[in-house]
Amino acid sequence: MIIESSEQVPRTRLFKRFPVPKNFGLAPQSRIQQGKRWPAPAGARRIKAFEVYRYDPETGENPRLDTFEVDLDQCGPMVLDALIWIKNNVDPTLAFRRSCREGICGSCAMNMDGTNWLACTRHISDLGDPGRIYPLASRTIIKDLVPDVTHLYAQYHMIEPWLKTKTTEPNVERRQSPEERHELNGYYECILCFCCTSACPSHWWNSDRFLGPAALLQAWRWITDSRDEATEERLDNLEDPFRLYRCHTILNCTRTCPKGLNPAKAIAEIKKRMFERRS
Amino acid sequence: MARGTERPLASPSSQNRERVLPVSPNIQIYSPQLTSVLSFTHRVTGVLLSLAAVGLVAWLIAGAVGPDAYAAVQGAISTWIGQIVLFVFTFAFFMHLCGGVRHLVWDTVHAFELRQVYLGGWLAVAASIVLTIITWVVAYS
Repeated sequence: MIIESSEQVPRTRLFKRFPVPKNFGLAPQSRIQQGKRWPAPAGARRIKAFEVYRYDPETGENPRLDTFEVDLDQCGPMVLDALIWIKNNVDPTLAFRRSCREGICGSCAMNMDGTNWLACTRHISDLGDPGRIYPLASRTIIKDLVPDVTHLYAQYHMIEPWLKTKTTEPNVERRQSPEERHELNGYYECILCFCCTSACPSHWWNSDRFLGPAALLQAWRWITDSRDEATEERLDNLEDPFRLYRCHTILNCTRTCPKGLNPAKAIAEIKKRMFERRS
Repeated sequence: MARGTERPLASPSSQNRERVLPVSPNIQIYSPQLTSVLSFTHRVTGVLLSLAAVGLVAWLIAGAVGPDAYAAVQGAISTWIGQIVLFVFTFAFFMHLCGGVRHLVWDTVHAFELRQVYLGGWLAVAASIVLTIITWVVAYS
């Protein structure tokens, strides 16, 4: 009941989803229909079923939910292992992003059993039966579990994630005390998987203008960096009813971060700094 | 809600040149967690309290107008449906109050660790229930 860290999966869930119709508010081309069932190979003893969101841009039919039965004795313990097993043995057309398989690149971010996490660090045993695998929420889908993250990268670019200085470059590195470097802890570790931004209901409703927790966490990372000299400009950039202030401290972002970071706290720090510079 | 963007596909087939790509589901599949449920409750109780404010003003005006109008409004409140509405408004008031305290604490950049968020959340729910019950017991004693 009391969640201490974002990697905790709740033991029991009263509701698996909000009590809304399954295709509530989805545009006609986004409505999900029933898909195929792919049974487990003969002789499999430990079987787990996965419901996976599929979309094929070649046919252009509506997205569907395919059910795959996976032989757990043949694949590794993580959800990404199950997806790779499905792609190798059952349906080679299943598309998903993956790279490091150790939770550091952020490619395999997807929605498993209703919460966003990295597929390579989510245990299969933590999912219900059947495990429900969807792509990151509220994103345009290119194919199957591959979302289009161009807009999210554009929002990240908008906060100008580089060191901006006015003083001339020194011959050695720009000095920073250990305390000043400590200020960046908890913010520089972001792997830009965008689990948080696609978990934020405020970003679902205002994705065009609200920057979202990932971009704002990075905005705070640069505002709080003692070497950066453009703090006022960065804060001016956020003086807008939508870019920063659509955050209503819902806190889904901190709950879902696969690296255990705290975007909500970073956003609160930005709001406090915005308030302090007005007074 | 974000809608599918108009995007021509990479392959030059004439059929799918102006395909509209689907958008993945959000609230339809996302798990309700204490964080999002309490935030939604805070907003819903806020709307309910706006309605309650109108009711409060109506009650006060009835009292100011005269004894007949006041008796009519008191009669409406003492029906069983009036009592249910009053109970719901009381609970909404305390839920919004406790949620408001959490928001004020967050504004000072405190209690952002997940453990504190969850403790504060359950505390707010429990406190609202307890305060509602106490208010009604005191009102009827």
